Amino acid sequence: MTKAILSSYIKKNTFIHKLNPLTKLIFLVAVIITVFAVKSFIYNLIIVLAIIPLAYSAKLLSKVFKPLRYLFIIFIVLYGIQSFLYPEKETILIDFGYGIAIWEEGVLFATIISLRLLAMIVHGYFFVLVTHPGDLVCSLRKIKFPYKFGYIVLSTLQVIPRVASQMETIIDAQKSRGLETKGSIANRLKAYSPLLGPLFLGSVQNVVERTIALESRAFSYETEKTSYRETYVRKKDKIIMASIVVFFTLYGVISWIL
Amino acid sequence: MDIVKFKNYSWKYSETDKYVLKNINLTIQQGEFLGIIGNVGSGRSTLCMSLLGLVPHLFYGKTKGELIVDDIVVKKAKISDLSSRVGLVLQSPDTQLTGAGTNVEEELAFGLENLGVPRREIIKKVDSMLKLLNLEQLRNRSPFELSGGQQQKVAIASVFIMEPKILVLDEPTAQLDPLGTEQVFSFIKKLAKKGTTIILNTQKIDYIAEFADRIAVVNKGRVVKVGETREILTNVELLRRNGISPTVFTKLSEELIKNRLYKGELAMTFGDAVKIMKKVKRK
Ligand SMILES: Nc1ncnc2c1ncn2[C@@H]1O[C@H](COP(=O)(O)OP(=O)(O)OP(=O)(O)O)[C@@H](O)[C@H]1O
Ligand SMILES: [Mg+2]
Repeated sequence: MTKAILSSYIKKNTFIHKLNPLTKLIFLVAVIITVFAVKSFIYNLIIVLAIIPLAYSAKLLSKVFKPLRYLFIIFIVLYGIQSFLYPEKETILIDFGYGIAIWEEGVLFATIISLRLLAMIVHGYFFVLVTHPGDLVCSLRKIKFPYKFGYIVLSTLQVIPRVASQMETIIDAQKSRGLETKGSIANRLKAYSPLLGPLFLGSVQNVVERTIALESRAFSYETEKTSYRETYVRKKDKIIMASIVVFFTLYGVISWIL
Repeated sequence: MDIVKFKNYSWKYSETDKYVLKNINLTIQQGEFLGIIGNVGSGRSTLCMSLLGLVPHLFYGKTKGELIVDDIVVKKAKISDLSSRVGLVLQSPDTQLTGAGTNVEEELAFGLENLGVPRREIIKKVDSMLKLLNLEQLRNRSPFELSGGQQQKVAIASVFIMEPKILVLDEPTAQLDPLGTEQVFSFIKKLAKKGTTIILNTQKIDYIAEFADRIAVVNKGRVVKVGETREILTNVELLRRNGISPTVFTKLSEELIKNRLYKGELAMTFGDAVKIMKKVKRK
């Protein structure tokens, strides 16, 4: 799953793919701010649904909803708790008697939260799908993001899938020795906890070695760093960035007025 | 010209009771290919790490004596002063990739970016390095999806592309299978032809026999002997005393001599062995 989420850029030749990563980042940030600023259910739903035309034009419609599988449980828990227990109880939707009931306010609240979550996950995942991590870091560096920070982002994106596969190897090895990794969540946590040891120890040694590798590449050499990868902020990027800001500001204002 | 000078050099990690490097005196010439051989735990890796200043600047411990690398006194310098002159590659292919490059090209470019080389030059250098080492088919692949041997080649190439004066390789093939080992060594051989000073620590002395100019034998933290490759590798007593097994070809010629099938010099390389076998057959 880590691998699926972190290194999931899919190369395609579409208009959205070719935009500068910063343009896409501004869109993502605008989406997140807006879904929190907007309180109306319909306006948030529209933002969530906006992913459909976007993903369609990036030829990724079949991929973009993949992470929802993992969110399903969260939604169930959210609705389960809020429908019964949300503190502002006024309108009863379904009465089970004995003081147990589903309240309209709770359902509404759960819906708003779910929509916010959904918007963030779906748009966030779409961002990752259409943005090459190398381009992202390159363009961040151009607006003076710290060089080391950029390295951390990139290497994490690349190394975490490695750690995940290392973990799989360890789990397989342990399974063959009879480790139980199925069953209840408590059982699973118990089963996985001994795996953290080898994984962690392995990575301390790895940190030392990778530090050495970095030093041999003159990582801490003090000079104006250059970049092999290039990204450009084109005219269309500037126009789109400006439009995003204007559009989402208006959208927020309208949702408050109407 | 002497590019590396150890003068009565000693080093102790703060975790070890005894000195791990003891009173080392060793000079290395510019452009030379020096092999380092020795038993397990004899301090060869520590020796390699001191050339980049990791000992004493990354690890804690105590030094005595002096180490001068390319006219820089290591003890007084920073690692970053040395890293533009000395390239070091360790044994594990996995950790020798920095994770800074999303593909092989970028991994190669990373060191040059750090040195502030202009983009146009980087592009040229990356292209010619890929060509030199026949890595062109891999240029757009993720470094993490390559075989161990390919990864180690990329790691070595991405250090070599920075044109360090000294390339230090600490058991670069220890985790590779025979095929990967073969590939990496033939690759190192190519690099050696470019005139860089190469210091290679390896247990695989069959290979070192083929291309080292000189060899240093290390035992319990001391450089026991330094000499011409042939002089060292055919000195079987010296090798055995220091826990090193001679090459198979040397052992073969020893056996022939013992059985009175052959009289003369011990063999060291495959070529030597072939010559001896021809002599034996003629008899
Ligand atoms: N980071 C460290 N901290 C403390 N002690 C160390 C460290 N690295 C090595 N040593 C110790 O220093 C001694 C020499 O180790 P070194 O790794 O240099 O030997 P080596 O000849 O490379 O051996 P190997 O065959 O294991 O590669 C060993 O006794 C080792 O335990
Ligand atoms: Mg070693």
